[in-house]
Amino acid sequence: MSTLETLKDILIEEFDLQRDQIMPDAELAALGVDSLDLLELMFKIEDRYKLAIRDDIPANLSTVNDLVVFVDGLLADDPDLHASA
Amino acid sequence: MRRVAVTGLGVVAPSGTGVPLLMANLAAGRSAVRQLAPAPFAALRSPIGAPVDSDLSVHFPSARVRMLDRVSQLALIAAAEAVVDAKLELPLAATDRCGVSVGTGMGGAATTDEGYHTIYAERSDRVKPFTVLASMTNAAAAWIGIDYGICGPNLTYSTACSSSAVALGEAARRIWSGEADVMIAGGTEAPLTYGVLRAWEAMRTIAAPDPVDPSASCRPFAKTRSGLVLGEGAAFVVLEEWNAAIARGAKIHAELSGYGLASDGTHITRPTVHGQAAAMRAALACARIDPAEIDYINAHGTATHQNDSIETAAIKEVFAARAHRIPVSSTKSMHGHLLGAAGALEFVISVASMERELVPPTMHLDVADPDCDLDYVAGRSRSGVSLGAVMSNSFAFGGTNAVLIAERVGRRG
Repeated sequence: MSTLETLKDILIEEFDLQRDQIMPDAELAALGVDSLDLLELMFKIEDRYKLAIRDDIPANLSTVNDLVVFVDGLLADDPDLHASA
Repeated sequence: MRRVAVTGLGVVAPSGTGVPLLMANLAAGRSAVRQLAPAPFAALRSPIGAPVDSDLSVHFPSARVRMLDRVSQLALIAAAEAVVDAKLELPLAATDRCGVSVGTGMGGAATTDEGYHTIYAERSDRVKPFTVLASMTNAAAAWIGIDYGICGPNLTYSTACSSSAVALGEAARRIWSGEADVMIAGGTEAPLTYGVLRAWEAMRTIAAPDPVDPSASCRPFAKTRSGLVLGEGAAFVVLEEWNAAIARGAKIHAELSGYGLASDGTHITRPTVHGQAAAMRAALACARIDPAEIDYINAHGTATHQNDSIETAAIKEVFAARAHRIPVSSTKSMHGHLLGAAGALEFVISVASMERELVPPTMHLDVADPDCDLDYVAGRSRSGVSLGAVMSNSFAFGGTNAVLIAERVGRRG
């Protein structure tokens, strides 16, 4: 499953969103995901991909696509994790 | 002199969600105290409590529910019920003239418990980002203020077991003084977590489970009483300036006419006759009524050895010979001790009893303690009893004693 689709699943589950709302250019804030929600979301991402996010979360994560790029970057750092996801 | 109308009542209690169900269960003498589920409570010496048996999360979207400790969920549901009951027009007008006043003893205890479990038991650093916001003591009051866009005073009182009697009384004072016209006031508590129950057990104040019938474990004023039973829940009222309530055609349940506050100033747990009697006298003075006019007392009646005999002595000191003729009951025998929510719940019960001409019973009182010799309405409620003025007592660890008086509509014209 692509990173985008996996993140959509998490967002639908956690934020009562519809799949078609979660377009790549959608602003996270507009979807009801504020800065604290984003921290909570990182726990879900860690669980889903079985990874530990050790770096600080970048402050400029504003769209769904920013989140996809961030997660893809984490996965690229460790291809084994990607395989297990 | 401004007066305070009680125009809305809302409860989420062990004995029922909604005032009609709560009162039907209390009138029937049904206890909500029970054996708690084995997990995680099996290791407790007294695995009993009075839980609220309903899925609270259905009331909130999932994105919101993770920000809300159970204590705030209970509060929001009960406050919403009170607002609906009051038929307040939403959105509220003149929001700077509206306020929120909440009592809670422990705030978001489950969130605190879970956070420490993560840190110390799991040795994990994955503490939930909402831990501070969900556990802070004023979270429930804050969310109520946000839900209704309230811009006047938003205050949380924490005086242990009298917290919400204080919250209601202080809310009434805001209206009496002219600082506010509408106050959403109440109490909330969610103490049925393993950590909290263990802490209470350590203090040796929790009742031993009745070996035959766990629901009969809380026995206020009884010779066999062995302590309190913790319960969870929330109760809220809408208080309005009397003339404004009349002008908008509100249904007025009662007048909140008296609030008395006095402190023991002696010991962290041991109550005093002097402090409790002073609070009752202060409430009577506030309402400008004579002790002879009180028709029912909802006692603090925790079923601890100390409280019940001291409270009985305090009632006798204030009401003298008449003390033996006033029905006095402890509904905690059925809904348990809701700590910071107890005062608000018992005030709502007192008002609803007055409206229904009902005196709720003290259950499980077969043989009274010789030191407890009042009319405790043992074992069976009384109906068809005209109640003009009722008193609700709330006394606390820490010694802050708070007493509220409500009067029937029409009693003062």
